[in-house]
Amino acid sequence: MPIKKKGTGLTAVADAWQLADIDVSASYPIRPYTAIMAELAKRIANGQMKCEMVHGEGEHAQFSIAHGASMAGARATTGTSGVGVTYAFELYSPIAGARCPIQALVGDRTLDPPGDFGSEHTDCLTLRDNGWIYGWAQDAQESLDNSLMMFRIGEDPEIMLPQIVAMDGYFVTHINQEYEMPDQEQVDKFLPPFKPQFRLDVNHPVIMGPQIEPEMGPPLEWDRNVVMQRVSEKIVTVTKEFNEIFGRNYAPFVEEYETEDADMVFLLQGAHAVTCRSAIDYLRKAGYKVGMCRLRWVRPFPDQALKEILPKFKVVGVIDTNTSYGAAGGGGVLLVETRASVSEVANKPMIQGFTSGLGGETITHEQFFKMAEMMKMTLEAGKIIQDSTWVNFNDYHEGATEVKYANQQVAYAKE
Amino acid sequence: MSKAYKQVPFAAIVPSPKTENEGMVTGNWRYLRPVVDKSLCTKCKTCWIFCPDACVNYSKDDGISFNLKYCKGCGLCSNVCPVGAISRQPELDFEE
Repeated sequence: MPIKKKGTGLTAVADAWQLADIDVSASYPIRPYTAIMAELAKRIANGQMKCEMVHGEGEHAQFSIAHGASMAGARATTGTSGVGVTYAFELYSPIAGARCPIQALVGDRTLDPPGDFGSEHTDCLTLRDNGWIYGWAQDAQESLDNSLMMFRIGEDPEIMLPQIVAMDGYFVTHINQEYEMPDQEQVDKFLPPFKPQFRLDVNHPVIMGPQIEPEMGPPLEWDRNVVMQRVSEKIVTVTKEFNEIFGRNYAPFVEEYETEDADMVFLLQGAHAVTCRSAIDYLRKAGYKVGMCRLRWVRPFPDQALKEILPKFKVVGVIDTNTSYGAAGGGGVLLVETRASVSEVANKPMIQGFTSGLGGETITHEQFFKMAEMMKMTLEAGKIIQDSTWVNFNDYHEGATEVKYANQQVAYAKE
Repeated sequence: MSKAYKQVPFAAIVPSPKTENEGMVTGNWRYLRPVVDKSLCTKCKTCWIFCPDACVNYSKDDGISFNLKYCKGCGLCSNVCPVGAISRQPELDFEE
């Protein structure tokens, strides 16, 4: 029987790894990832889990250990945060290129400017071009569920790619929430044991990661490109099966909230969706036809889903909880990719960029109200008046007084 | 697929050979080739120890020779040779 538990996103993933019966986990402390390593160590010491835990001397070593373990046929995991993600950078492409389906947990944290423990998605989004499957969880339950789903997708013999279970540092990694820990039998039914076609074996020796000639490189790159496109199909089938077995109701790519009659939607990922939903409830009461689209995956980017969903709306406010300094459009990664997704679609909406929630800042109701107000003015003007808004930093050039007035109206409706 | 490419097995995972792997020849990156002067060579095998690609062969009768299919011309052998018996010569000076 599934059991209700109180815990954080990190204990939820520790539960997922326990249920998945992982063989090796490589660790190195960095906040906010550290607590899962302590949790795993405790469970191994208590005899709850049978797993080899190897402590690296840094994140580069951590991912190297997991790489080696995976090549030897182990279901291997690791994880990190912030600058730890970037310290391990050399390993991401070789791991994906060797088709080692390692799973890493990333508790997102700001990259140092020069030292910030706050949450934002910039760390993880810097490695988006390396062939890893990844997406964001909004809460502890989804962290656990994404972990199980990603094992299943990544270890599929047709896929064999590494995965990152990303979650907002602190907001998800450290806040105690209630979640459901599935039953071992349910997990066994969903997730078969990891049996790779190739592995390092002294009786049947193979070379993994050999030097190759330049003429051999392009076909390998092509294979990675093709398989990443195939991941989208797997996400659809695996999500459907997951929902049936565990009784959840996840959309494969994009969760929609109050979008049936919406003119305007927020598009975002991660834990701020929780605040966004309740802000929408207030905005609806104040007469705003606003909804939310939450991305569950970033690689592969759900561009087909966005092509189908976004033309229903007139204004899309993309909220970037990351930065990509100097990026096209002046926003972050999400804005660039969303615009690219729908660039050739008929009746495409006006896509307005917002940057908020950096450095661990909470995106408050008031900020959502302000963004909704700016989207409404875009809707009424039929053009984007000010793009690439850093919420709380940019002045809204046209109609600043109206924004202030409308904010008071929304605050009134809230009371 | 175009003839210019070489198809590689899944993730370039290949059976482990006992000596060398014909499927993964990498000596075509080289622009300087190691050449040994056998009159100077003392057969000390220092180059054999240092070669990072195991391209130095040794036999009691003939001394050292190079497996040019995998030698990338890094020059480590000539640098460590204690008697200066190994030189590096431009690849284009050789017919094959």
